[in-house]
Amino acid sequence: MKRDRRFKAGVISSLNPVGFSTERWSYTVHRITGIIMVGYLMAHIFETFQLGGGSSAWANTMAALHSLGPLEMVGLWIVAGSALYHGGNGIRLILNEAFGKFMGKPILPVYPYSPTSLGKNQKIAVWTITAVVLALWVWAGAYLLAGLGVI
Amino acid sequence: MDKITLKVTRSGGKGTSYAVKYRKGMTVLDALTEVREKQDSTLGYRHSCRMGICGSCGMTIGGLPKLACQTQISSLNTDTISIEPLHNMEVVKDLVVDILPFFDLHRSVKPYLIRTDVKERDHSDREYRVLNKEADKFLQFDYCIMCGLCYAACPTVALDPFYTGPQAIAQAYRYMADPRDEGWEKRIDLLDTSHGVWRCHVAGACSFVCPKDVDPAKAIQLARMEVLKKRVLRKHAREGSRPVPPPVAGVAKEGVKPPHFDFGGASK
Repeated sequence: MKRDRRFKAGVISSLNPVGFSTERWSYTVHRITGIIMVGYLMAHIFETFQLGGGSSAWANTMAALHSLGPLEMVGLWIVAGSALYHGGNGIRLILNEAFGKFMGKPILPVYPYSPTSLGKNQKIAVWTITAVVLALWVWAGAYLLAGLGVI
Repeated sequence: MDKITLKVTRSGGKGTSYAVKYRKGMTVLDALTEVREKQDSTLGYRHSCRMGICGSCGMTIGGLPKLACQTQISSLNTDTISIEPLHNMEVVKDLVVDILPFFDLHRSVKPYLIRTDVKERDHSDREYRVLNKEADKFLQFDYCIMCGLCYAACPTVALDPFYTGPQAIAQAYRYMADPRDEGWEKRIDLLDTSHGVWRCHVAGACSFVCPKDVDPAKAIQLARMEVLKKRVLRKHAREGSRPVPPPVAGVAKEGVKPPHFDFGGASK
């Protein structure tokens, strides 16, 4: 019997960026934020589905959500951050993948090696997106706190 | 630093520590060899050239895939070094991993020149010319030593063992970019699958660990662009370069003198 020798290291190995470059950290955050957004989408579909049960069912759902207190807003804030990062980084990845932007051209390797795909342009792109996302995330947090009447 | 401790993950996941006397210039491979010669002859690891050419001694050193022969202990900035087998590959014994599936993936992308006219290829009295500017497009990817570090570092391979992998895709692109090759369409069909180029998420781990700066992440994106050109823009495969007569020995062009080399009187 022929043995399938392909080996699967698993999710933990896939998401562990320790020791790697900024791009690998970006990959991990991108994946996690994607999972958060899928979770939110599921919850949102479930929430909207309650409308089919009439106005009382909808009111009960809303009451259950509001009973979470500040946790509801924290959850929304995390979802907002996830959407911002996933979207922003997604644009960088589309530029990478479809147009070859920030990857550099093939070169003759000269020691000490420095791959152009992880070079200055790529780093600028990663950190610019991170900075913009963080700024927007802080703004989103302030917006949510204002909604709560805290500020 | 007089002594270092190697924490080696051995078969079955059990760890064994070895104390080794440090000397200046010592590599991880030197330390492992010392362990096997003086402390534990059962320790399994693979190596050959000891100079970063053969790509046999790939292992996970301090959490990152590296060649043991090229990793100076002084560069790790610690006296306790963790050594594990390469990830994403099945362990055969201790630090020796089964690299055959990795080689199978390499073979699957047809890593050789494909010509449509086989007779011309096999019985030609001429040669295929490659201009410098044409070679620049693929030479970087030609330096691959098939060590498997990129494959071990790839987070996509960790989740999808049927992914073609960074090394194989880089080699496919290397031949797709070669002006002598006419296998463009065949390789694109191999890459344009759910386990092909579209599986890469540009984590860049492959390029980060590559000991030869082959930059597989770049090659994958270039291969992707080639696939997009063919599938979306409907561009057809180009014709490979035609064979040209070899130059006459010693005379590159009529009227041009052959170069003169001065050996400082050594030949007199």
